[in-house]
Amino acid sequence: MIPLSHYMLISAALFSIGIYAVLSKRNAIMILIGIEFMLNAAILNFVAFSKHDKFAASGQVFALFAIVLAAAAVAVSLAIILNVYKYYKTIDPTKIDKLRD
Amino acid sequence: MSLLSLLIFLPIVAGILILLLPSAWQQRYKYVALGAVLLQMLISAYIYINFDNTLSGIADQSTFQLVERIPWIRLNLGALGNLEIDYFLGIDGLSMPFLVLTSLVMLVALLASWDIQKNLKGYFALFLLLDCAVMGVFSALDFFLFYIFYELMLLPLYFLIGMWGGVRREYAAIKFFLYTLLGSVFMLLVIIGLYFSVTDPETGGHTFNMLHMMNPANYAQDSIFSVIAGQEIFGVSARLLAFIVLFVAFAIKVPIVPLHTWLPDAHVEAPTPVSIILAGVLLKIGGYGILRVCLSIFPDAAIQSAWWLGLIGVASILYGALNALAQRDLKRLIAYSSISHMGFVLLGIASATSEGISGAMMQMISHGFLSSMLFFLVGVIYERVHNREIPNFRGLALIMPRYTVFVMIAFFASLGLPGFSAFIAEAFSLIGAFNSQSINGLLPRWMAVAGSVGILLGASYLLWTLQRMFFGETRLWGGDEWKAKLTDVNGREVFALTSLALMSLALGILPSLAFDKMNASVLELIQLMNIR
Amino acid sequence: MDTFTKETISLLALIATLLPLFSFAGILLVPGSRDRGSFFSILNIATSLLISVVIFLNVWNKQPIHQQFDWFIIGDWRFKIGILINNLSALMLLLISFIATLVHVYSTKYMEGDPYIFRYWAYLGLFCFSMFGLVITDNLLLLYMFWELVGFSSYLLIGFWFTRETAVQANKKAFLMNRLGDLGFLTGIMIVFSQFQTLDVNLLFSEGGFFKRSLVQGDLWYFSSNHMPAVWLTIAGLAFFFGATAKSAQFPLHTWLPDAMEGPTSVSSLIHAATMVAAGVFLIARIYPIFNPTVLIVIASIGAFTAFMAATIALTQNDIKRILAYSTISQLGFMMLAMGVGAVAPAIFHLVTHAFFKCLLFLAAGAVIHELHHLKDKKGLDFDHQDIRNMGGLRKFMPITFITMLLASLALIGLPFTSGYLSKDAILIQSFEWAESQGSIARIIPYTALFASWMTAFYVARLIFKVFFGELRLNVLFGQAFSLHEAPVAMKSVLVVLAIFCLFPLFSLNPFHASHAWIIEGLPYFSTTPTVESYHILIPAVVSIAAIILILIGYKWYGKNEKAPDYTKAAVFRFSQEQWYLNRLYKVMFVDSVLGLARTAFSFDRTIVDGIVNFSGKIIIVLSAVSEWLDRKVVDGLVNGVASVARTIGNFVRHFQTGRLQHYLLFMILILLTFFVLKYFSQAI
Repeated sequence: MIPLSHYMLISAALFSIGIYAVLSKRNAIMILIGIEFMLNAAILNFVAFSKHDKFAASGQVFALFAIVLAAAAVAVSLAIILNVYKYYKTIDPTKIDKLRD
Repeated sequence: MSLLSLLIFLPIVAGILILLLPSAWQQRYKYVALGAVLLQMLISAYIYINFDNTLSGIADQSTFQLVERIPWIRLNLGALGNLEIDYFLGIDGLSMPFLVLTSLVMLVALLASWDIQKNLKGYFALFLLLDCAVMGVFSALDFFLFYIFYELMLLPLYFLIGMWGGVRREYAAIKFFLYTLLGSVFMLLVIIGLYFSVTDPETGGHTFNMLHMMNPANYAQDSIFSVIAGQEIFGVSARLLAFIVLFVAFAIKVPIVPLHTWLPDAHVEAPTPVSIILAGVLLKIGGYGILRVCLSIFPDAAIQSAWWLGLIGVASILYGALNALAQRDLKRLIAYSSISHMGFVLLGIASATSEGISGAMMQMISHGFLSSMLFFLVGVIYERVHNREIPNFRGLALIMPRYTVFVMIAFFASLGLPGFSAFIAEAFSLIGAFNSQSINGLLPRWMAVAGSVGILLGASYLLWTLQRMFFGETRLWGGDEWKAKLTDVNGREVFALTSLALMSLALGILPSLAFDKMNASVLELIQLMNIR
Repeated sequence: MDTFTKETISLLALIATLLPLFSFAGILLVPGSRDRGSFFSILNIATSLLISVVIFLNVWNKQPIHQQFDWFIIGDWRFKIGILINNLSALMLLLISFIATLVHVYSTKYMEGDPYIFRYWAYLGLFCFSMFGLVITDNLLLLYMFWELVGFSSYLLIGFWFTRETAVQANKKAFLMNRLGDLGFLTGIMIVFSQFQTLDVNLLFSEGGFFKRSLVQGDLWYFSSNHMPAVWLTIAGLAFFFGATAKSAQFPLHTWLPDAMEGPTSVSSLIHAATMVAAGVFLIARIYPIFNPTVLIVIASIGAFTAFMAATIALTQNDIKRILAYSTISQLGFMMLAMGVGAVAPAIFHLVTHAFFKCLLFLAAGAVIHELHHLKDKKGLDFDHQDIRNMGGLRKFMPITFITMLLASLALIGLPFTSGYLSKDAILIQSFEWAESQGSIARIIPYTALFASWMTAFYVARLIFKVFFGELRLNVLFGQAFSLHEAPVAMKSVLVVLAIFCLFPLFSLNPFHASHAWIIEGLPYFSTTPTVESYHILIPAVVSIAAIILILIGYKWYGKNEKAPDYTKAAVFRFSQEQWYLNRLYKVMFVDSVLGLARTAFSFDRTIVDGIVNFSGKIIIVLSAVSEWLDRKVVDGLVNGVASVARTIGNFVRHFQTGRLQHYLLFMILILLTFFVLKYFSQAI
């Protein structure tokens, strides 16, 4: 039996990798991938905690929902990235600092 | 509209007219001003002739003449009661002579400003504003109104000295301004204190009416200046303190030693007409204020401090005369002689005898005429050569004989030659001061004797000047150039000088011209002082 | 003549007084040529003389005339002025108008050709007006007014030649010294008014007047309900006497009179010998009851001392007018002495006789000066035409001047058969009698006067012999023989008329005894001292014999040839010639010290009084600078400080707003982490 903490550690590692990617990558696509990492870390937690769930497999249902939502979110995000590229001719987030003004 | 309002606002109207006239007509401004001043002269002459000698005035409104009392400001101040300020005018024997004096001195001053060239519009407008303020001070009976006119005088004077004056005019103007302002600011405090102490017996509200202030019954119980309550500030009786403050305010105007140093500077720097007004009228406001305000409202404190007043008077007489003896500038000499002569006023007032106060009044009137004449004479010579250092002239009698005659008249009249008003004035101030010991015990006899030494010193500096400047062979610092410029007096100057000399002569030979008019008021004032 | 009513007589007196004023005003106000006025003023003064004669005849030894009018009201007190003509003032009125008329006539020639002569006539008019007013007024204040006006007209006349430096110095000095005396007069008036509430001479000083009714008890001086310390009675007497001292040129206020000789000689004779200087004596006679015994002794001593001092100075002077001036001072001293010893009537008698002979002496001296001046101008020479050392032998050229002047001199010396003998010996006798009743030390006073009287004989002899005897010294000086002429008729006739008045018959029928002289009998004040018969013989004899001896000595020394011993090196001589050094003393004591005081006062005014003002001005400027600094640095600094802190923080925070999404995310995470960390630790604690 694999203890819960192992799942947690993997999930944390995934999350951290995701955050690192979000914060440090200079490509919007890579950031998107980082976000997917973090989502998957959360999904992993849902699945792992569902074992201790009093109701039947609600964690897994949540996980499924999250996967669907993540797919939808990626689609929207890619569309935004495309539009950003169209407007700025770059997808490097450090170059896009219009928020400053 | 009564005569007094007419007298006060006539100059203002003329002043506004001058402001409205186009600058192209600036040579005609003086005629407008002359018209106003002449009309004023006529009105005051009419007032003089129709003045009732038997009405005493002082503290009773029904015995004032030409009274005009219109409610002016009525403000409900809630818990502080009603603010009552009246437009309250009236004259009695103490103020009427000064109206006549003012209108004549203004006429002479206007004649002396005939040749002013700089900024005529401003000059004549300020001149007439000053005229209005002075007339207002002499006829106001509401303390607030009095104060407004009193402060209103400062403004035109400051500009007249500061803009049309001599080399150090700014210094002199500011010095004059600060000195007078210093006095009047504290005066305002006392006025407010009085306002809160005095109630109008008819309406019950607080009032600025000076006549109500003279009656101890009108003071609210336990109010700061109440006679009965005897409040103290810093351990000094509040009434005494208020008297001192008011006295200092007016004494700066008189001026007294040691608050006199603005006077020589102001005179030396002021243009001739302003000097004439300053010496002829403004100094009298000090004396008038002391009589009208200090003595009448605070008679108890006045009697308490009479000894000091007398001492200040004697000190001014002697100190002013000694200083005059040391002068080289003719105008400064006359300025110091003014200090000396005004000392007699204070000495006479301090005696609180009818002779002393009448003498003091007479001295003010007489000095009004004579100092105007003296400053006019200095102006004549200064206008011609722009110099008035005594050692620079000698033997002027040979080249300006008529001028010398006028100088001799003015000098001898002001050193107290019998036949001229100053003699009567000085003699009775001194007689009153001497008599004081026997009548009310206020002044010691030595003060009168010491004051009489001033007459001797007065003769010394004037005769010495006469000898140095006018007699001997003609010798001028500016040589033949001056000799050509120093022409004898012309018709306009002769007119002004003659009228002043005649006034002084008339008062000297017929003192009743002045004494009869003021006698009832003087007696009433003395009675007021002795009641309490 | 008795038909005149009181009203008419006072009206006449008023007219007589105002006529000279009319000439003064008329001449000055009506323009005309520069030599106008002589006829006009002579006409006026002659009319005054006529009226004075009428008044005199109607008043002398009859009821005095007193008329009053209201002048003005001051306080509760009605100020009345009026005319009081009694024997004294009627006599003075006559004397003044008579001498003034003569001097007017004399002046027509003496002043002829002066470029400003109309002023001369005008000033003379003013003087006569003031003098008349002075003698007829009934009020002390009015008396004081005329007293000053007299001084003023004297000022004008002394400085008549105003281009001369010495003349204007002299008139200033005269006026100021008189002013000094006037202070005394004024003080006296103040005291009298304070005590009696009136200045009416008649009420105050008549028999049974206020002064007789006031009394001194202990230290207080009472009159009805008033009282003041008794010392003020003495002060009042001294004060009035001080006034008289100045006008009558008594020690210590006599030094103006010799200097006043800078004026025209005719003026000197009228004003500074006959009339104005007598005003002091007149004043004392008019207010005599005011003087208590202490003051009388002071008057007597000052009088005697002045008589002596002036006589010693007159011994050595060389200026003819100066000798006469000191002689005038000396004679006025005699009058004062007489007043002091109670001999009022003899004093006035001497005043009258002196007025005539001294006026004559001056006019005669004027004639001499006139001729010498004429000579000087004609020949273009340069010498002092008033110096007796330049004269001599003039009796040959000017016999009438000589004889008249001789008569006047004899009267001045006081030899028998002259008017001066009568009056002067009356004074001397009475002062000896007074000293007898006073006791030992008081004897110094009459003896001093006696000495003065002897010295008079000597200096007069010196004057006469030097001027009229011997040879004209100008001839020696310039080495040529000059000849002079007698004075013109107008001057000569005046001298002759005056000379008649130097003789006894007009005053007393008995040439040796004054007690029956009509002037003495007509004046009210008789001496109370007991008569000592022996003095009435002894004193005139001693005076006359000694005087004759001294005149003989004078003739020997100065008569034919000058043989006088040379004393010019002696200290006493210098002392006399320098006029007792009083002028220098006064200059140092009074003029310099007052001027020094004035300069000190002025520098005090500039440095201390004005210094305080300017200093307080400076303090205010410094204060305002300080407050300005505080305002800028502290108050404003605080405000600016807050702003700059905000700006600094803002600047710092600004760096966080990079506009980069990733930075924002990083902050969010960091803050979230911090929050968790803090929460963790806070729970741990």
